[in-house]
Amino acid sequence: MTGGGAHFARALDRDAPLAAVALGRALRDAGLPVTPDRSARFAAATALSPPRDRSSLYWTARVAFVSSHEQLPAFDAVFGAVVDGLVDPADSRGQAGAPAPLEAAPPDAPTVERQGGEAADGGAPRLGLGGDGEGEGEGVERPVASVASDVERLADTNFGELEPAELDALAVLLRSLAFATPPRRARRARLARRGERLDVRATLRRAQRTGGDPVRHERRRRREQPRPLVALLDVSGSMEAYARAYLLFLEGAARGARAEAFVFATRLTRVTKALRDGRPHAALDRAARAAPDWSGGTKIGEALKAFNDRWGRRGMARDAVVVVLSDGWERGDPSLVAREMERLSRLAYRVIWVNPRAAAFGFQPVAGGMAAALPFVDELLSGHTANALDDVVEAIGRTR
Amino acid sequence: MTVESPAEVADRLAGVDYLADEGLATALFLALRLPQPLLLEGEAGVGKTEAAKALAQALDTPLIRLQCYEGIDVSEALYEWNYPRQLLRIRLAEAQGGDIAEEDLFDETYLVRRPLLQAIEHEGPRPAVLLIDELDRADHDFEAFLLELLAESSVTVPELGTIRATNPPVVVLTSNRTRDLHDALKRRCLYHWIDYPSPEREVEIVRRRVPGSARELAEDVAAAVARLRASDVQKPPGIAEAIDWVAALRLLGAERLDAASAGRTLGSVLKYREDQESVRAEGLERLAP
Repeated sequence: MTGGGAHFARALDRDAPLAAVALGRALRDAGLPVTPDRSARFAAATALSPPRDRSSLYWTARVAFVSSHEQLPAFDAVFGAVVDGLVDPADSRGQAGAPAPLEAAPPDAPTVERQGGEAADGGAPRLGLGGDGEGEGEGVERPVASVASDVERLADTNFGELEPAELDALAVLLRSLAFATPPRRARRARLARRGERLDVRATLRRAQRTGGDPVRHERRRRREQPRPLVALLDVSGSMEAYARAYLLFLEGAARGARAEAFVFATRLTRVTKALRDGRPHAALDRAARAAPDWSGGTKIGEALKAFNDRWGRRGMARDAVVVVLSDGWERGDPSLVAREMERLSRLAYRVIWVNPRAAAFGFQPVAGGMAAALPFVDELLSGHTANALDDVVEAIGRTR
Repeated sequence: MTVESPAEVADRLAGVDYLADEGLATALFLALRLPQPLLLEGEAGVGKTEAAKALAQALDTPLIRLQCYEGIDVSEALYEWNYPRQLLRIRLAEAQGGDIAEEDLFDETYLVRRPLLQAIEHEGPRPAVLLIDELDRADHDFEAFLLELLAESSVTVPELGTIRATNPPVVVLTSNRTRDLHDALKRRCLYHWIDYPSPEREVEIVRRRVPGSARELAEDVAAAVARLRASDVQKPPGIAEAIDWVAALRLLGAERLDAASAGRTLGSVLKYREDQESVRAEGLERLAP
């Protein structure tokens, strides 16, 4: 092996398991979900076919360590750093130029404000989620007794006017809204007396009791399944006051109704997993990383296009209930919003748009993006308070 | 017949006209030798399914394919009993005035083997290639069931007992990423993301698949297809589309790709009306070299 890879190659030669573990650790530090058996797999792979050059080493390591397409940028960066020996792997943590770690953020990486109560006046948007890691999820246990007693009043207060502590008091309420999308027919069937299909297997089994004569015909009816739910949340500057609350709402949907969740400002980021794991702050961190000019405005059209291209068309949006939460202030070209909304509405079962500004007196959907999207929206709702979100939940359950 | 290196895998695949790059060859080599299931992902049309087919052909072993869909279950993936035949057997026993024991009714004669069972029972001499296609379309329960099967290389049929693979299959799974597969499944699998081939490689692929096609034409098409993939079309053309396109052009007697010939054959490469319209609006001459 020549060039920068030589050092690592020698280490691999001398003690493959040790070198494998070192690479695995560097990858894990960068946020890849690397378990010890991955390192073992890499060591076994190099023993089977000793890498001849940088490229064969790269492919062996990539196949052994990577488990999804999203991890490739991070993998490439770490591989470059470790194998080419340009950077000490330990230094690559939280580096400004390093690719965004996936899922788990390294502890010292720049993050969006995490503590709701101390949201700074600094550059970072006020999007804390009332708690970190372990404490997260028990928002009401924080000392907010003065407001916690008054959840009812808070439930009618515009999210934009809530103090962080007050929002914490609502967290449990927001997370626990019960979502149910309308059913669609599943392919699989279950036994039902008046079913439309004959179940030969069950009929035959029963026929044995009557001497092989299928006296009673067992039938099946196709089972019904809830439709998929997809939520797209605008977290740009103009939505700042609402994003925190809506993210809690999405967390409930992601966990309760197995919804898919995305956030966007200038770029679209999938946050389903972070929300399902009860790590909404990680979801925000990822979104913040993906959109450095976070409060700089929204590119709704591009976000919708990214969703349609990468996920929607492949099946995620098909026959689904899609909820877009955005004020419709589009920085880009409104005609793109119209085009992508049309595509989305063709795929989806129903499209619901939640615009917190819709509650304002004399609201007219004239913001460029909103006006462009409106013809393709089945229902426009405000969802600006906890109680108003009830209407959204109801709309999600409505049939066409 | 064991392969000794990724390069040997690539050579064998080339022998059956499948051109794999180093990454895919490495992934397939490790899947064969570690051995471990391989999860292939990539844009539609980069040749995920083809890779498994070519591997089976190159290893001279059967390809057993399970196409997943929403609601697929054990009776469609693993096994089912042949009810009409069982019913006839009952009638026959009855007509002969006899009786039939249940274990005679549920014996292997009446077992319909679906792909997963076929793969487990495959006797060899070489392991079969089991292709589990578009796993993301199946639901979570099925994924969990599959995980168990992959881990154990055995299945249990309640009426017959446990069937263990004597010659465990080489398992290739593909996904179009309409949803995330379960982490536990990903952990068990090797992973490879297939990119679109480089234009040079695509020329080679096309020329192998369309016998007698001129190099210039294949080069024109590879370049045009690369431009289409980078542009803003809803359904970027895959390798199959490039092959179809060259075949169509050749059939019409075109020697090079120009605006006229592209216009007549656009339907073989772009499958959405909107895509065709936007490409025509931008000018077909932009597809020509």
